[in-house]
Amino acid sequence: MLGVQAQMPAPGQWTTPPFDPRFPNQNQTRNCYQNFLDYHRCVKTMDRRGKNTQACDYYFRVFHSLCPVSWVQRWNEQIKQGTFPGKI
Amino acid sequence: THQTHAYHMVNPSPWPLTGALSALLLTSGLVMWFHYNSTILLSLGLLTNILTMYQWWRDIIREGTYQGHHTPIVQKGLRYGMILFIVSEVFFFAGFFWAFYHSSLVPTHDLGGCWPPTGITPLNPLEVPLLNTSVLLASGVSITWAHHSLMEGNRNHMNQALLITILLGLYFTILQASEYFETSFSISDGIYGSTFFMATGFHGLHVIIGSTFLIVCLLRQLKFHFTSKHHFGFEAAAWYWHFVDVVWLFLYVSIYWWGS
Repeated sequence: MLGVQAQMPAPGQWTTPPFDPRFPNQNQTRNCYQNFLDYHRCVKTMDRRGKNTQACDYYFRVFHSLCPVSWVQRWNEQIKQGTFPGKI
Repeated sequence: THQTHAYHMVNPSPWPLTGALSALLLTSGLVMWFHYNSTILLSLGLLTNILTMYQWWRDIIREGTYQGHHTPIVQKGLRYGMILFIVSEVFFFAGFFWAFYHSSLVPTHDLGGCWPPTGITPLNPLEVPLLNTSVLLASGVSITWAHHSLMEGNRNHMNQALLITILLGLYFTILQASEYFETSFSISDGIYGSTFFMATGFHGLHVIIGSTFLIVCLLRQLKFHFTSKHHFGFEAAAWYWHFVDVVWLFLYVSIYWWGS
């Protein structure tokens, strides 16, 4: 991820996710999915190292903005049950 | 009234009609089977279709081999017909390869974004599938041996090589059947199994059809139907067999090897 910090807006000014050149198409499904994965990978890594997970908030806000709520609910349910197919 | 051209003027025949009706019964029968789990109509369709095929081709053998209607110009038409049929088969399989690559090149996130999908254990391509590849390649060699023996009038070698080709075809079918029992996935549990069994299953069906075609050729050869110059039935079977062989190579490289 290129300059995550640089992409972070000032508190309260965060609106929609910025353009991500990895996902140049109108269909943003994989952008949503990748940020969902990145968030969980980030949290897992930070937890393991005993660090603050605040750095992961960016991914959280991007996938919350891009993903349909029903998808996130389903993925969270799958993670809870151990059936989520993605690699976290 | 004698004919002043070499074309084959065919007589009226019931088989196009019974063939069309049996095809309708076959599709309706499949619907009844899939939808209501009833196999009556499907059995009737299969039976009438097999009867039509048997009697139609029996008549063609009578016309070609015993009545001499298959002159060079008629054989030219038969060649074009067989080529067009095989081209249509190429497109038939292209559809299944399209489905496979559509699903596997950019796997959807529901699969975990990877291929084979998360939780799928594919077959090892270096085990039985590799043996199958060599079996089919060997059968391609033996059918060429049979063809050249036929053209050179070497009857013993022709019989032997054709029999070997058929046995290799049957061996392939047995190996594929045993592979199907080994798989941990099924046609209905996801896109991997669906594309796998659709493509390899239809290929298997074509191997069975090709083997049947070759068996008919062997029976005709034993009854002295073929001469060193007049044997298009055998050539058509050989073309078809090579086609099935080439489809397997694409299946092996794409689905078994790259796809695992």
